[in-house]
Amino acid sequence: MQFSEHWLRSLCNPPIDTEELSHRLTMAGLEVEECQPVAPAFNGVVVAEVLSVERHPNADRLALCQVDDGSGHVRSIVCGAPNVAVGIKVACARIGAQLPGETADKAFVIKLAKMRGVESQGMLCSARELGLSSDHEGLLLLNETLAVGTELREALSLDDNRFVIKLTPNRADCLSVLGVAREVAALTGTPLRTPDVTPVVATSDDKFSTRISDRKACPRFTSRVIRGVNAAAATPDWMRQRLERAGQRCISALVDVTNYVMLELGRPLHVYDLRKLRGVIDVRFGKTGEQLKLLNEQIVTVDESVLCIADDSGPIGLAGIMGGDSTKADLSTADILLESAFFLPEIIAGRAKRFGFSSDASHRFERGVDFDNNLAGIERATRLILDICGGEPGPVTDVVHDLPARSAVTMRVVRARRVIGVAISSDEMIGIFDRLGMPARRSGSGEAECLSIDPPSWRFDLRIEEDLIEEIARVWGFERIPAKPPIAPAAMLPASELVRSLHDLRHTMAASEFREVINFSFVEARWESDFSREGSVLQLLNPIASQMSVMRSTLAGGLIANLRFNLNRKMSRVRVFEIGRVFWRDTAQSEEALAVKGIAQPVRIAALAFGPVAEEQWGLANRSVDFYDLKNDLEHLLAPNCPKQWGGGLRFDAFTSEHAHPALHPGRSARVILDGCDIGWIGELHPRHQAGYELPQAPVLFELDTKPLLRLSLAKHAEVSRFPAVMRDFAVVVPEQLAVQSMLDAMRAIGIDCLKSVSLFDLYRGKGVPDGCKSLAFRVIMQENQRTMTDQDADAVMASLLRVLSESFGASLRS
Amino acid sequence: MADLDLIVSEAVAAFAVIADAPALEQAKARYLGKTGVLTELLKGLGKLPPEQRRDSGAQINAAKQRIESALEARREALAAGALNARLAQEALDVSLPGRGRGRGSVHPVMLSWQRVEAIFHSIGFDVADGPEIETDWFNFTALNNPANHPARSMQDTFYVDAKDSEGLPLLLRTHTSPMQVRYARQHQPPIKVIAPGRTYRVDSDATHSPMFHQVEGLWIAEDVSFADLKGVFLDFIRRFFESDDVQVRFRPSYFPFTEPSAEIDIAFSSGPLQGRWLEVAGSGQVHPQVIRNFGLDPERYMGFAFGTGIERLTMLRYGIDDLRLFFEGDLRFLSQFG
Repeated sequence: MQFSEHWLRSLCNPPIDTEELSHRLTMAGLEVEECQPVAPAFNGVVVAEVLSVERHPNADRLALCQVDDGSGHVRSIVCGAPNVAVGIKVACARIGAQLPGETADKAFVIKLAKMRGVESQGMLCSARELGLSSDHEGLLLLNETLAVGTELREALSLDDNRFVIKLTPNRADCLSVLGVAREVAALTGTPLRTPDVTPVVATSDDKFSTRISDRKACPRFTSRVIRGVNAAAATPDWMRQRLERAGQRCISALVDVTNYVMLELGRPLHVYDLRKLRGVIDVRFGKTGEQLKLLNEQIVTVDESVLCIADDSGPIGLAGIMGGDSTKADLSTADILLESAFFLPEIIAGRAKRFGFSSDASHRFERGVDFDNNLAGIERATRLILDICGGEPGPVTDVVHDLPARSAVTMRVVRARRVIGVAISSDEMIGIFDRLGMPARRSGSGEAECLSIDPPSWRFDLRIEEDLIEEIARVWGFERIPAKPPIAPAAMLPASELVRSLHDLRHTMAASEFREVINFSFVEARWESDFSREGSVLQLLNPIASQMSVMRSTLAGGLIANLRFNLNRKMSRVRVFEIGRVFWRDTAQSEEALAVKGIAQPVRIAALAFGPVAEEQWGLANRSVDFYDLKNDLEHLLAPNCPKQWGGGLRFDAFTSEHAHPALHPGRSARVILDGCDIGWIGELHPRHQAGYELPQAPVLFELDTKPLLRLSLAKHAEVSRFPAVMRDFAVVVPEQLAVQSMLDAMRAIGIDCLKSVSLFDLYRGKGVPDGCKSLAFRVIMQENQRTMTDQDADAVMASLLRVLSESFGASLRS
Repeated sequence: MADLDLIVSEAVAAFAVIADAPALEQAKARYLGKTGVLTELLKGLGKLPPEQRRDSGAQINAAKQRIESALEARREALAAGALNARLAQEALDVSLPGRGRGRGSVHPVMLSWQRVEAIFHSIGFDVADGPEIETDWFNFTALNNPANHPARSMQDTFYVDAKDSEGLPLLLRTHTSPMQVRYARQHQPPIKVIAPGRTYRVDSDATHSPMFHQVEGLWIAEDVSFADLKGVFLDFIRRFFESDDVQVRFRPSYFPFTEPSAEIDIAFSSGPLQGRWLEVAGSGQVHPQVIRNFGLDPERYMGFAFGTGIERLTMLRYGIDDLRLFFEGDLRFLSQFG
């Protein structure tokens, strides 16, 4: 809502300055977004008349004018404007005048000057020179009725401010200057001066038949015929000024008047060209397939859910939204029908949006228009039309059916105090309701004291007790409500040792030299087909861009985009991770307290490593990061989830060829298994994608569900043996493709109690080992709890390990 | 026996110029060895008359002790010299950088998220997290924001190609407020919870991101008032910015799910943003209809809710002036944070 301060003050003029007025409005919930002077500072500019215009003796493009500036002296002024002419009224800057300069604090001072040898005793100004608009086509032409010598600021009422307020959807009553003035009156106690809406006496009997087929949707339809108007009459300056300062473009007198009344009283009106109407006006819902060309030239197709104004030719307007082209008034219109209707908000809501636009009328009707000012609006508009365009008004036809019920709302004084947290007196509350134009009735006393009001016709947001409590809090002043330190029972809020948070994962990843990123949850469709192993992808119905059109079911695509972004910025080493939700259709997902039926949306953690394994540094031979480096990072992340003993619950299983992960190199990737459950994957990017995404090397990535990572088990102490441990190393030669894990599993499966751990400590291929084979060196730790192990004991264990390896895998001891 | 003093001073002088241990031991032999000068003198004692023997013996032994102590002192000096030489030779350039793995970083938005959790945890707030693809009911209707209500246009919504059991399209939650309803339906008052998370709106320009983070706060009990909301939020802001130099202003506003409703603005009394009011949160007393949708009786329970943008708090905290930096994954930006 935009309006000029002068207009507002013409209806309510409190003794406070602009800044205070702005603050009061903001703190009452009418947020002032902007409050700017309508004209920059200047002085010494007066209304003047051009008495004569002669060619400048030394310049073809300049004129020498004699100008009456009201000082009693005729001024001789040189002027270069093309539109200078004898008899026009112009803005004349006298010698010494200060005009807006290039910067706000540096005025442009008018001095007595010679122009091409001729003295100029002032300057005739364009609108741009005065900072009033960007118009530099010529002199600013003033209304000829203005008196010569009048200060221009006064003549054009330039010491005014343009207010822009941001209204919340509940305060449609403030979509008018009157509404804002009503609010100012309530906030300051200054009386409200409502505009004159005295009924205009009809000078003809002309009426136009209206029928309201849908009385519920349109409870009131008020109209009046005016014949013989001069539609081409000029809109008066004072109205133009107010409209322009309210951000409204001036179009023609009839349209300007309806806009003016809408802005002043909050009463949308419509003007029809009476001669273009056919038969009777009917307010009815549309019929499927009916079409209509609107004032904005848009052709819309209506249906049974859209309320229309129709005549015998069909729909001629969208009720409460926009009139139609076929019956619009134009400059040649002589006879008009003025409409001042009320439509139910819920009938209008959302309809304009469906047609892809919004109008001043729909914005107001959707939120609620005062249904008691139809007459005031039509009388006000009639008066203005008669004053500007003349004409013969007929009587007002006011068809009224069931207007919205306005039942009394009651507020318990005690409840209001409880909600607000301040003991405001009931007298003060009554005063607030009074000033808001809704006198309160008191009933009961003490704990049972209640105040009741009847919501005014302009308020659509007062239905329940809380609505009134809000009015009290708002007008009494949020600023006056104390900030109370909360009081609550001091209950401990335990943090379980068996749970870790996503933040713990973050800090672990950061300690492993990964940087956290946040990527959008909607991604390119291509990323999903390239990187996801989930089933059915979810599409956005209204994406903001095609590369953000599907919901991600893996975090991998975002990380690869992060890699590309940083490679393009000359980074050679990239280690990033993200924690976030991924999404896909999952028929197995049921409705739960924290889940939506049919949609899987788990929180995942994913990481990507690329480039040198360590930051380039002295004294450390570098190499590219590979699968095993990232595997170590993953193991580090999962360490708190895994039992500390040998053979903890974390395993890495190669993908079978039929279930290979689409993002990954099939021979360099694995499923991550924690306690028997598949919790994610790790691997090197598939060479196909490395090429497809133009990466100089393949990054390694992992992605895991976070839920299993957040559950921890309580550490359990096991007695440490006091007897010495025995350590033995051995190496075996096995076929190249044999997985170490299967050998470890086999050795563990023997179930030797004293076997504390077997770990791989060397892997060798080359001289001494046959082609197609590898040598694996294991370190064995053995220990008894109750006695010292003998060499013979250890030999026996080693023998059984070697037997299993030999029998199961054909391993041969390497000497 | 004047030559004894001479021998001692000769020996001391000889030891002093010796620079290594083997030479020192050779020099020792010259005086104290089997055929050393003093050993010879001791051997010669027997030839002396008995009355001279004792005195001479004592003098020779004294000289021997003096030579031995000079020898010992020289040995220690040589050892210390050798150690010093070794230490000097082993000295490192301690200014060379430490070797090995560096440190990564946590995203600044997440740092704020964690701090918000910690601050509210300190006065007993639980933390909850829930779905980002939501139903119309949880995102709007349960929050007193029915279909076609003009308030819906305050939050332009992304929809996905899946429907809920009512046949309405599922959506990306436009705020964290659905978590008020989800959490409150699972817990009994007093309810004190914050719900941080991702939210989405169809909006993208220099100051709006289509995806951003909010933290929702909810406190429902028997007598939690608007004054308590002011108290809690003021305290939160001052703890978050670790400054009492920040003003907090509650400005009347409108949200379908709170009444009275307030926008919360803050202003710093120093720094580049000095004196400007900056919008950081929406808040208010939970609407009675919403309390009913929690499954509670609004006559008995009341309280406040607020929702604040984590990006905004983060920008103000660290002096970041462009929202888009958070979502670009630029390592040069990210490396500036813990």
